Amino acid sequence: MLALTRTLAVAALVTLAATAQAHFQLLYTPQLNHADPATLPFKLVFTHPAENGPVMDMADPEAFFVVHRGERTDLLEQLKPITWQGAENQGRAFEAEIPVRRIGDHVFVLVPAPYLEEGEGYIQQFTKTIVNRGGAPTDWNEPVGLPAEILPLVKPYALYTGMLFSGQVLSDGEPVPGAEIEVEFMNHDVILEENRMRAEGHLEFPSPAFETFVTHADANGIFHFALPHAGFWGFSAVEVGPVTEHQGEPLSQEAVIWVQAHELR
Amino acid sequence: MKPLSYALAPLLLISTSALAHTPLFACYDNADGTVLCEGGFSDGSSAAGVTIRVLGDDGAVLLESQLNHLSEIEFDKPDGKYTAVFDAGEGHRLEIPSSRILP
Repeated sequence: MLALTRTLAVAALVTLAATAQAHFQLLYTPQLNHADPATLPFKLVFTHPAENGPVMDMADPEAFFVVHRGERTDLLEQLKPITWQGAENQGRAFEAEIPVRRIGDHVFVLVPAPYLEEGEGYIQQFTKTIVNRGGAPTDWNEPVGLPAEILPLVKPYALYTGMLFSGQVLSDGEPVPGAEIEVEFMNHDVILEENRMRAEGHLEFPSPAFETFVTHADANGIFHFALPHAGFWGFSAVEVGPVTEHQGEPLSQEAVIWVQAHELR
Repeated sequence: MKPLSYALAPLLLISTSALAHTPLFACYDNADGTVLCEGGFSDGSSAAGVTIRVLGDDGAVLLESQLNHLSEIEFDKPDGKYTAVFDAGEGHRLEIPSSRILP
């Protein structure tokens, strides 16, 4: 009985910790589809998008690049540090303005520096946001080759509300059976020029359980999630990368992808 | 009978693919006296070999060529107004006037 009590107590702690860890690396641009060439504003923020929660300071990222027709273009030099205003605090973040001209997919990738969560260890979220110009699919279903990566199995920029988004979780290119995936809705609109989110959210969550959804991949690392509301949804496969230690602390290498659902009309 | 089946298979593939895709065409003024055009299809299939025509203001054909293996073509920018035409056959023809071909 004592053992059972202890198990339950540990389980409760683990659950709490998991909820507290629902950090999401934003690689935000307001629109993933572009009919014409455009210069895209990007905001790179490490926060809790569902509830406009605490903002974590980002160190200088390790990499920021775009892949188009298999060709990689480095964008690290384009990043400028900004201060992001969360509901509770401010944090160091980055912005960039990147022109997109040629038709096809432009796979934007951010490799942030590992972030130290006091008492828990480092988190590093390899983040992808895939923009399409003109409707031609070219790169969206090819892995970039990140240590932790979600490979979309459905075009992440061509989703209606109610559709299933499917992806495959990869660790060094290999599927991760049973991977845990956290899912959050960008509930608060981003106000680009003010480096903050609108205080009012689209949804009123019945309980904190709705702020971060959790699903699991199958034996082939494949998961599915139906998108019930228009807007941006983030998927984060936690603790999937091959490196598990950084500067003597535990490291969780996570794979993040952002998708945009449109109203069905 | 067998040779007939084999002959039909490629035809079926071609017709399926033609139904499932929308032609895409974009041109850019390189600002160095040349123009770059690129084509594609919404299902991701290549537009290599698709006929491209450049028409003058009077409709005269200034250039007729094909998109290369990267589904691209580069040509000297004509003087005055012109139109770039992507011609992948009936229902797959797109035109871009020079007023919409920007750097």
